[in-house]
Amino acid sequence: MSRTDGLPGWFRPLPRLLTADDFDTGMCGWLDLRPNFVGPDFAAHDQEIDLEHWGPVMLSSATYPFSGTHGSAAGTYSLRLCTRYPAAEPDRPPAPGSMSLAIKRLSLPEQAGLLRVEALIAYTTEQDRPGLGVDAMRAFGLMIDLQDDDHRFMPGVRFVNTAGGVPQRRWQFYSRTTDDDATWSYGREGWHQAGIDPQWFGVRSADGSTSATTWFDGLGQQPIYNETDDKINWMPFSLTVDLDRRAYHSFRFGHRRYRFPADVGPTLAPPYAGIDHLLNPVFFVETDADRRVSLYVDSVVISYAEADDLVGPMSARSEGGEE
Amino acid sequence: MKSFHSSVTDLRQPFAGTVETFGYECGWADEAIFFVTAERQTPADAEVDLRVQLSADGVRWLDEGSGLRLAGPGEEFVRVRHFGGFLRLVGVISGPDPRSVLTVRLALKG
Repeated sequence: MSRTDGLPGWFRPLPRLLTADDFDTGMCGWLDLRPNFVGPDFAAHDQEIDLEHWGPVMLSSATYPFSGTHGSAAGTYSLRLCTRYPAAEPDRPPAPGSMSLAIKRLSLPEQAGLLRVEALIAYTTEQDRPGLGVDAMRAFGLMIDLQDDDHRFMPGVRFVNTAGGVPQRRWQFYSRTTDDDATWSYGREGWHQAGIDPQWFGVRSADGSTSATTWFDGLGQQPIYNETDDKINWMPFSLTVDLDRRAYHSFRFGHRRYRFPADVGPTLAPPYAGIDHLLNPVFFVETDADRRVSLYVDSVVISYAEADDLVGPMSARSEGGEE
Repeated sequence: MKSFHSSVTDLRQPFAGTVETFGYECGWADEAIFFVTAERQTPADAEVDLRVQLSADGVRWLDEGSGLRLAGPGEEFVRVRHFGGFLRLVGVISGPDPRSVLTVRLALKG
């Protein structure tokens, strides 16, 4: 039996399938990423930025005012992440509600050496006014929260579409930061380690850079965004992480394959208590304006390979074809 | 077996004068219950009158016909059926310069 039996042809999973989520069957364990409510009266622990008001995630039929229902890539429903608004300036911490994040909480398989997260993605700005709203979308991406015996680390990629109204249309990846813990956490010491939660922490710049991101070399990328805010197109996304090296393996979006520089990886922080071998993928979307923006994710497939899978002519590494 | 999903669509969301909760897409569900908690009020006895709204597209909204009222801190609920694809609550808070912090939990089944 092929490992792709039953999956749409978009997907090229590693040999061992961990989860395959088709949102026609429900939320499949994806939910809002919320802070820890451990203070008095269940107050959130984090006070440096507002983590309570991100837009909630939904099952969506992708229905719009003039085109009606798109459905998903295969079926009716996808997972929709939708922001509130407004956005903060891109060199400031994210404004309350300006993001939406969906997390799935898993644990790492014992012998996993490579880990791959694949999905089909579409995005749009809420069609609440005439014209083309593509530049209201600041960014979207995927971050994977991981912890092994020695480190917590969060590899991920972020497509910066627009920053402060200026189109960027290019991908970056989370890389090692030189921030100290207090600078990373907007002044608070004693809880967040530098490099943890790069989707909202770290020093930010006007062009969408952060102190824990590196732009991919070369040209940017224009994902499909049709000539109106009520037409979407599904595009394949695939990020593969080398867990043994705590580094990147490969990234593919649409028709583009991206090459990581040698020896780059996310910040390696000390391990946190109680979350050994955690595996939490997180999709996110960010608005750049005074409008809701949405990221749609369909059929997320998470797969992995063990060391024995990576040898021989039919190995996962060669079959992946991305290096 | 039916599907069930509960979303905290608005968590301790501050409102001043008027209320407009997050427009939530839930066309898969046959029935819904809005659980609304008034966490804090200014003035303390402020009344919050909320109306259920539905929408054909998540952008333009119409009154559904049902609603709920909160007076001071507390919790109420309203049941909704046959609502199409989108739901939210809108309303007003009574009193001079009124403010309210609301948590909205939307329980969906279908």
